[in-house]
Amino acid sequence: MLFWLIVIAVTAIACAALFYAAGPRTVNATSAELDDANSHFRVVLAGIDADLAAGKLGEAEAIAAKGELAREILKLKADAGRAAGTLRDMGRGPLVAGILSTAVLALGLYGVLGSPDMPSQPLAERADAAAPAIDLESAVTRIEAALTANPDDLRGWTVIAPVYLEMARYGDAARAYRRVLELGEPSADLRTSLAEALLLEADGAGSPEAMELLAAAAASEPGHVLSRLYLASELTRLGRYKEAVDAWNAALALSSGDEPWLGAAREGLAVAQNDGVAPADTQQAEMIGQMVSGLATRLAESGGSIEEWTQLVRAYLVLGDTAKAQAAFDDAVRAYPQAFDRGDLDAVALGAGLKLNGATP
Amino acid sequence: MSIELGHFSLILAFAIAVLSTVGGYAYWRSGQRIALVLRQGAVLQFVLVAVAFGALIQAFVVSDFSLALAVNNSHSLKPLIFKISGVWGNHEGSMVLWILILVAFGAMVAAFGRRLPNDLMALVLATQSLLTAAFAGFTLFTSNPFERVLPAPLEGNDLNPVLQDIGLAIHPPLLYAGYVGFSICFSFAIAALISGRIDQAWARWVRPWTMLSWTFLTLGIAMGSYWAYYELGWGGWWFWDPVENASFMPWLAGTALLHSALVMEKRNALKIWTIFLSIITFSLSLLGTFLVRSGILTSVHTFASDPTRGLVILSLLALVIGGAFFLFALRASSLRQGGLFAPVSREGALILNNLFLATAVGAVLVGTLYPLVLDALTGTSISVGAPFFNLTFGALMAPLLLVLPFGPLLAWKRADIVSAAQRLMAAAALAIFVAILVSALGGVALSLAPLGLLLGFWVAFGAVAELIDRSKLGRIPLAESWRRLVGLPRTAWSTAIGHFGVGITVLGIVSTTAWETELVTTLNPGETATLAGYTIAFDSFEQVPGPNYLSDEGRFTITAPNGSTRQTMADRRTYVASGMPTTEAAIETYGFSQLYLQLGEPLENTHVVRVWHKPYITLIWLGTILMALAGVLSLTDRKVRVGAPRRAAKPVAEPAE
Repeated sequence: MLFWLIVIAVTAIACAALFYAAGPRTVNATSAELDDANSHFRVVLAGIDADLAAGKLGEAEAIAAKGELAREILKLKADAGRAAGTLRDMGRGPLVAGILSTAVLALGLYGVLGSPDMPSQPLAERADAAAPAIDLESAVTRIEAALTANPDDLRGWTVIAPVYLEMARYGDAARAYRRVLELGEPSADLRTSLAEALLLEADGAGSPEAMELLAAAAASEPGHVLSRLYLASELTRLGRYKEAVDAWNAALALSSGDEPWLGAAREGLAVAQNDGVAPADTQQAEMIGQMVSGLATRLAESGGSIEEWTQLVRAYLVLGDTAKAQAAFDDAVRAYPQAFDRGDLDAVALGAGLKLNGATP
Repeated sequence: MSIELGHFSLILAFAIAVLSTVGGYAYWRSGQRIALVLRQGAVLQFVLVAVAFGALIQAFVVSDFSLALAVNNSHSLKPLIFKISGVWGNHEGSMVLWILILVAFGAMVAAFGRRLPNDLMALVLATQSLLTAAFAGFTLFTSNPFERVLPAPLEGNDLNPVLQDIGLAIHPPLLYAGYVGFSICFSFAIAALISGRIDQAWARWVRPWTMLSWTFLTLGIAMGSYWAYYELGWGGWWFWDPVENASFMPWLAGTALLHSALVMEKRNALKIWTIFLSIITFSLSLLGTFLVRSGILTSVHTFASDPTRGLVILSLLALVIGGAFFLFALRASSLRQGGLFAPVSREGALILNNLFLATAVGAVLVGTLYPLVLDALTGTSISVGAPFFNLTFGALMAPLLLVLPFGPLLAWKRADIVSAAQRLMAAAALAIFVAILVSALGGVALSLAPLGLLLGFWVAFGAVAELIDRSKLGRIPLAESWRRLVGLPRTAWSTAIGHFGVGITVLGIVSTTAWETELVTTLNPGETATLAGYTIAFDSFEQVPGPNYLSDEGRFTITAPNGSTRQTMADRRTYVASGMPTTEAAIETYGFSQLYLQLGEPLENTHVVRVWHKPYITLIWLGTILMALAGVLSLTDRKVRVGAPRRAAKPVAEPAE
């Protein structure tokens, strides 16, 4: 109600202001206009006289300029006379009608577009904002605070450890699992999870401690599959193919035939049996080699986009051919001397240990 | 309730604009009454739109997420300044800012234009109201900033991180003031065409508005350029991006208009051309709006890509520009030409200026629109890049800069080119000497750089030469010269400072293009790199939380060639709400040069660090500030304010030469 009162008051004030702006004044419009123009012409005339006095204009030129000015004044007078003749009077009728239709247009349009019943909802005054929705981050922060106060809370560590793993905070996950192992009964699952956290933290680089944990987990529970799978893939990665074959076989022996990991395990076994080279890899490597050399020839002959150069450098890096990668990078820098044209290329190349020759030290 | 009151205010302003348009065009001959109503209407429109804009700001400040605009562009954790500037960091809100500036200019005409003839006043304000009605209608019907959300979300989606910068608080308002300010010139042009009234008095009313808008636009573009330079992390200051061109074309046309209005005011010549330029300049402003908001382009500036809006703006554009040119075609022939002059004269020089600037507008327009048109017609996507613009634009600007210093030294009507050249001899000799000296010191291989320097120095010294010439420095006692110098009209100072600024900007562009050096390397904390005599030591790297982002901060110590050291910080921010990263470069200014340092993506165990040394780059923006200053100075001249020359109380007598 208050809202509509304000709206109507604003409209009324605006309409009144418009109506009374055209109040009953008597003025002679044309004379004011002429006065103004005349003052301008006086200025121009003074300018001509000053120029004449300063010797910038000759006598004849000054007279011509004044003549031009006089013609201008005459023309303006004639125009003003004509304009006065065609003056159209605006009576009150059109004005009132215009103002009223303005009010109707504004109120009607607001009726269509507005939401008059909707109150403002500043965040500070909102009741529903008082109970903030708990997201994962803040939940973790709360549990962490509780664990700092009470570091022996086995349940707290058990809850938070897998969450850390989920959030890719592997170091924290390893710390939490260690604490769980210290506080409670070690189990094959816990040892495997700790090993998993350690492996992920090291970005798959592995660690003796993880191997020990996995071995202990496998030993403690004859039917534990996950630890055996990790063990087998670690052994494969380390190049201990003989042991790896045994480990893969041990894991496969535990399967019932429909586990999701079966395919990966069989592949792993095949790789281990083939001394670390995937059977399909040899063919693939040949094909990749052909494609890369094709790209290299094309870029060398006719140049290409920076994306193609980046692709080439990346391909050489994947193939492990650092010398060719460096050469390709140098060519790319020659083709694109401005750093910002090169986009990701610098990050890719410098990250892989290549040198930027084009830069002035 | 405040949001809804703001909404109603905008609608009421729209209704009043419609009334003013219809009433103004129907009754412009009715003398003072209609003029008074329209003046009142203009002031009311301004007050109402200001209320609407204030309501939006208020909703953003208190994080009222029942407003859809606030949900999409704000976040309760944002610092206050970015909550406020976030209001116009989007399509809908920036339209309200646009309209606010439009009605502010209308209100200024109503307030300061008491001496305007009634019919001209009525037509100007009716045209201005037509624009307001068109843009307010577009905003209300296709992109209403007052749309509400029920139920209101608890948190907003935050503003594009690139826009969370002090630049957003400054750049758009300045730029819009420039763009929209030209609407006044447009309205005056339309009024002149309808009423047939076009004389020197008309030019005298138009010129201050041109000067004001041009000053704002100059500052707005310069600010946008500097913002892109420090925020986007490439260290580039102009990219010939279509959006930049969209702001540059009205500037070029506005610069031409500024000069042609001068001819018209002083000599009553170039009338039709001035009217034409007024229309063109504002049309180019509208074209920029269309390009930015229709979704044709993709850049930081394209807020909303909505084909419906694009179509509506295109129709508006066609209506306004088409209508204006139709009127122009109808009436231009009935306008009288006036003011005769010889080819070699101040008028002639200004025409030359206009020719070059207009051609430059054409070149930029073609380069900007050709790829868009080609894409629309054939689906072939090509890009017209910096080489095209540098070549065409550079080729057009070089001769313009070459003849620029002559202009102010030529007399109106008929001038003596030999005497002007004689008076410029010293400036030319000095420019050649300094250009050679600087080139030698800078070590330039065979390139265009020395020529660019020569042009820059020539324009700068030539601008000063006019002041020296008029003060008769060295030919009369020093104290007398000083008195003459101080006594020169402000317009003379304005001309000199403006042209000097052009020279300075040219010098900045040339030197930074010719002598910029860069270094891309990998650094770890504790390591150092060197570039152009500066040693950059990477001190530390750490992650620090900001108000609504996480920041990877790299701290560096820079040792300058003279041994002084400075601490600086470059960081990469990841914004909490959007997860979007931004880079904040570390920029250290040494004299007029800058060292620009950017922290790249962190790699496995190292950081990519990019460093640029940009010699004399700040001259680019200092030059533009000088140009804007010249605009302000010219606006404060008595002649512009009251339409009368200096009172002759303390005459600076020009004895016969």
